[in-house]
Amino acid sequence: MSDNLYAYGVTPDDGSLAVDATGVDGSEDVSTVSHGPLAAVVSPVDDMDPERTDENVRAHDDVLRAVMVDAERTVVPMQFGMVFKGKRPLKNILRTGRPTFSRSLNDIDGTYELGVKLVAEEGATVDREAVAERVDERLAPVSVGTVENDLFSDRLVVNSSYLVERDEREAFDEAIDDIDEAYDALTLQYTGPWAPYNFVDVAIEAK
Amino acid sequence: MATNTPNASSLAEVLDRILDKGMVIDVWARISVVGIEILTVEARVVVASVDTFIHYAQQISMIEQASQTGELEDMQNLETGVGPIEPRAIEVEES
Repeated sequence: MSDNLYAYGVTPDDGSLAVDATGVDGSEDVSTVSHGPLAAVVSPVDDMDPERTDENVRAHDDVLRAVMVDAERTVVPMQFGMVFKGKRPLKNILRTGRPTFSRSLNDIDGTYELGVKLVAEEGATVDREAVAERVDERLAPVSVGTVENDLFSDRLVVNSSYLVERDEREAFDEAIDDIDEAYDALTLQYTGPWAPYNFVDVAIEAK
Repeated sequence: MATNTPNASSLAEVLDRILDKGMVIDVWARISVVGIEILTVEARVVVASVDTFIHYAQQISMIEQASQTGELEDMQNLETGVGPIEPRAIEVEES
């Protein structure tokens, strides 16, 4: 058994964290490694480079969702595959990267990400700009941040991620209701809650 | 009470996020046990290189290679920053 630790994300160290989710490579042993005010959510893995199987990809997301929703913690999500060679390198990063992690956690404090897509029926004529503008006008007051994602299909009219405070969730759901009712010809895809993947754009480089 | 609540997400939505987004930590920073100097980069822009890190990264790389291949003689080429221990005569005073 190696000492390798798969890291899911970084959260404030607010005491013990119970995570009821299966981790990467089927681990039932999700725990935290703390240093100072920060804790990394981890589980043991053998491989430094775990396979990107559907199960592993889902497990990464499931663990973060459990931390965020069940434990109501703010979490800076890691990209898939961040395996550390034991506790020491991980604590090293928590120590040296502390200003970065703390700032990121501060930016996203008490929030999570919700995804909003509006898809037009085949051949439908839609005033895309008008729809996008109205949707954002309705959702901006009940959110604290937004990122417009790639419109990878002609039928995709809106593809945005919103950063929403936990306490504003009901208001956001209601705004989504209004949008759903306003556009019969558009199919709404409302997803999440996600860890704020689209609102943490930081890399710790080693060049 | 709102009728819309977010759905359990499709695998495509999960993939789109966790393979492309989220915090990235360079592999050398994830394996190093020495007091490395790290470089935090916002918006995935590489700003500058840190000579100190390159030095450590090379050393770590060599340790990794050596331990993986079992060719520990590679380790002789390492600059560890600590010179070889000079043999010293130990004087024992008899009292």
